[in-house]
Amino acid sequence: MKGFTHFISGIAVASFFPQAVHMASQEQSFILCLGGIFGIMPDTLDFKFARYFHKSDFEIRPDPDNLDARVIAEGVANAIRKAIAEGRGTVQLHTMQLASNRWRSYTLGFDSTTSEVVVEIGPEVDTGQIPFEGTELKDPVRANARVKVDCEFFQQFDKKSQIAIMTGPCFEFVKRPTGKVEIVFLPWHRTWSHSFTLGLLIALLVGIFTYFTVPAGPHPELYTIPRWLLYPLIILFGSMVHIIEDSTGFMGNNLFYPFTKDRTNGMGLMSAAEAIPNFLFVWSSVIAILYNLDRFRWAPQDTPPGIENPWNFFFWFYFVPLAIMAYYFFKGKREKAEKKESKNRPVDFDGQTSVERETDASII
Amino acid sequence: MAFLEHLLHPEYLDLLYFCTIGVLFSCLISFLPALHIYNVIGIFLLVILKFEATMAPMQLVSLCIGMIVGYSILNTVPATYFGPGDESLSYYILPSADWLAKGRGYESIILTGVGALGGIIALAVMAPLFLLFLPGLKTITSPHMFWIIGAVISYAVLSEWPKGISQSDSCWANFLEGWKFLGVGLITFLLSGLLGFIVMAKTMVPVDFAFQSITPVFVGLFAIPWLITNIINIGAIPKQHESPSMELDWDLVVRGTFGGFLGGFFAAYVPIVTAGVGGLMAGHATAQRDGRLFVMSYGTCKTVYYVGSFLLFFIPGLSLTRGGLAWIVTPVVSVLTMKEYAMFVALMLFSAGISFLLLMPFTKLCIKMVEKIPYHWVSVIALILVIPGVYSFTGWGGMAIMAVATGIGLLPVMFQARRMNLMGVLLLPVCLNMAGYGNDVLRFLGLI
Repeated sequence: MKGFTHFISGIAVASFFPQAVHMASQEQSFILCLGGIFGIMPDTLDFKFARYFHKSDFEIRPDPDNLDARVIAEGVANAIRKAIAEGRGTVQLHTMQLASNRWRSYTLGFDSTTSEVVVEIGPEVDTGQIPFEGTELKDPVRANARVKVDCEFFQQFDKKSQIAIMTGPCFEFVKRPTGKVEIVFLPWHRTWSHSFTLGLLIALLVGIFTYFTVPAGPHPELYTIPRWLLYPLIILFGSMVHIIEDSTGFMGNNLFYPFTKDRTNGMGLMSAAEAIPNFLFVWSSVIAILYNLDRFRWAPQDTPPGIENPWNFFFWFYFVPLAIMAYYFFKGKREKAEKKESKNRPVDFDGQTSVERETDASII
Repeated sequence: MAFLEHLLHPEYLDLLYFCTIGVLFSCLISFLPALHIYNVIGIFLLVILKFEATMAPMQLVSLCIGMIVGYSILNTVPATYFGPGDESLSYYILPSADWLAKGRGYESIILTGVGALGGIIALAVMAPLFLLFLPGLKTITSPHMFWIIGAVISYAVLSEWPKGISQSDSCWANFLEGWKFLGVGLITFLLSGLLGFIVMAKTMVPVDFAFQSITPVFVGLFAIPWLITNIINIGAIPKQHESPSMELDWDLVVRGTFGGFLGGFFAAYVPIVTAGVGGLMAGHATAQRDGRLFVMSYGTCKTVYYVGSFLLFFIPGLSLTRGGLAWIVTPVVSVLTMKEYAMFVALMLFSAGISFLLLMPFTKLCIKMVEKIPYHWVSVIALILVIPGVYSFTGWGGMAIMAVATGIGLLPVMFQARRMNLMGVLLLPVCLNMAGYGNDVLRFLGLI
């Protein structure tokens, strides 16, 4: 899901605590933002910290002055061979920057039907990935390579990876009991940072701190949860909602790290980059926030409500938009399926995945 | 029917006249490099208000409607070819510069114009509904506005991802390379915020022009760095293609308008949040990726932001003053009824129609200008005009503020951080002031 989706969902979760809403409206507290911050935190940890400290077994730094697709393909194949022999192997592919706004592109794919690593050297591109005309490699032998490995592939995304600008991708190859080698995209992502255990640990540490530092606050008799407990709970639920949302996609999370070793597969209900599912979560959060802010307003007997009839509110502002979103979502799915059938192409091996076209790191 | 007859009465034809004048005037305003519309209108009203005895309040409002609608649609043209004037524009200008470099500036402008028109139509359609749900929304959100701005700040800071190629053998070297960009973003935000506190607490601008105190800040943060970059980096722009037709379908128009409307409305409704920030959030909320969708959605977003914030002021009984223009007309508009609101919507549609018709010839004129005049000279001339302009209204105090703001404004340009961080100049002080912590900060800084 998009970073914004996680962020606003975190705020929505926090707004379910009446005391947090009262603290915001009566004491000018920013506590509701805490839910948003911890809603986006798992991706922040991954993309701003974890990625830098992941060490790969193999690093491929293609030489732009001596381009050879076979060298790259062999490097990736070596990582697969290591996985066949030892169970796991990782490879980091680097980009080739030629000038401040000029890069040499190449693609990497895994052909499941022939068990081959496929590398193609592409044209030079600018940072917007627009190719420069006539910069393709002229020698077809050095431009394309296929290297066979002795295993079958298992992969979630049967598409090429375009390696062109900024940081290149990292792959992990894991030998499964079936003998197949699973191709794991970005092995450092959605592991410890996207686990319930980390959420619990942070909540516990914050809870210990707030227990000793946060006073009871005014009117403690109104609430069932003491004020000090509010902070760890908002942090815990904020990060949990991120994990739950990510689980609706394909990649999944490592829910009980370090007790579990690998990422589980997601439910595959929707793609993280799709517009309607993202907006569905955002809109649901907005509606929840507004409803909670209104029902938990301070002194409800003295203050008129903003939502006079909750049934009307939910019907017009939630169920009607939900029905419209559902209509367009399933219409889009149907049209996509029809397109696929009409082209008679079961796998789009050449196109970029929607994830690869994405600029917001948090949807990966 | 009587209501319609009342609206169409010839006595209101003068409003159409003032609206048209406003749109035409907005063409000139759009050309003024690096100045925010509200500052220009402020100066303009200083002149106009001298004749307030001869102008009825609604005539002045019509003039303002023409100016703001015209500006929101037409400002894309000079912004694309000569550089952005404010933060709302600089959000759009980077992708637009990409189109310009490919000779597709015209196409980008027309797409933005279609988006803007979509935004105006959406505002008109939503106008009756605003009467129904905005009072409730205001009741719910009023006590919470400070943390909503706080959430905007949190998201703006957290959603910036590291850049860099991370090819060193050392993890720490890669980490520092990535964090260099994030660090500059954070420093930019904090320095802008600090500048905002100082300017708001102790402005160095002469009292007579106190309403212009933010002008040197905006010129320094957004305009001058852009002009300097143009002078240093850009040679001639490539030949611009005036395409006779455009690849556009209803799906794209609806999606672009919808996403842009959300961002624009959010920016119009929440104080201090601009179209740039609103557009970014709406773009992420609706998971936009298509380049055309972005450009079109931006057109909607900025129009809904500029015009919508003014429209909110006219909703009877709501007392929602958002955006500089609403504050400017507050002294002359005392009573707001359904009649004024309906007239606003009608005049808004009329102005949008005229502005859209002007968009194509205006763009072609700009293309001719940039083809004849070397691009970097345009920036040099703009720079030469802007600096004395700021001096004439704000004196040496304003120049000092502008110099500091320029230093901060150059940070994201040099280190490829988000320019949106510069909005810390308003977001941070206003958020903390609304939360009641502003004086503590000022005391800490020794400003009070």
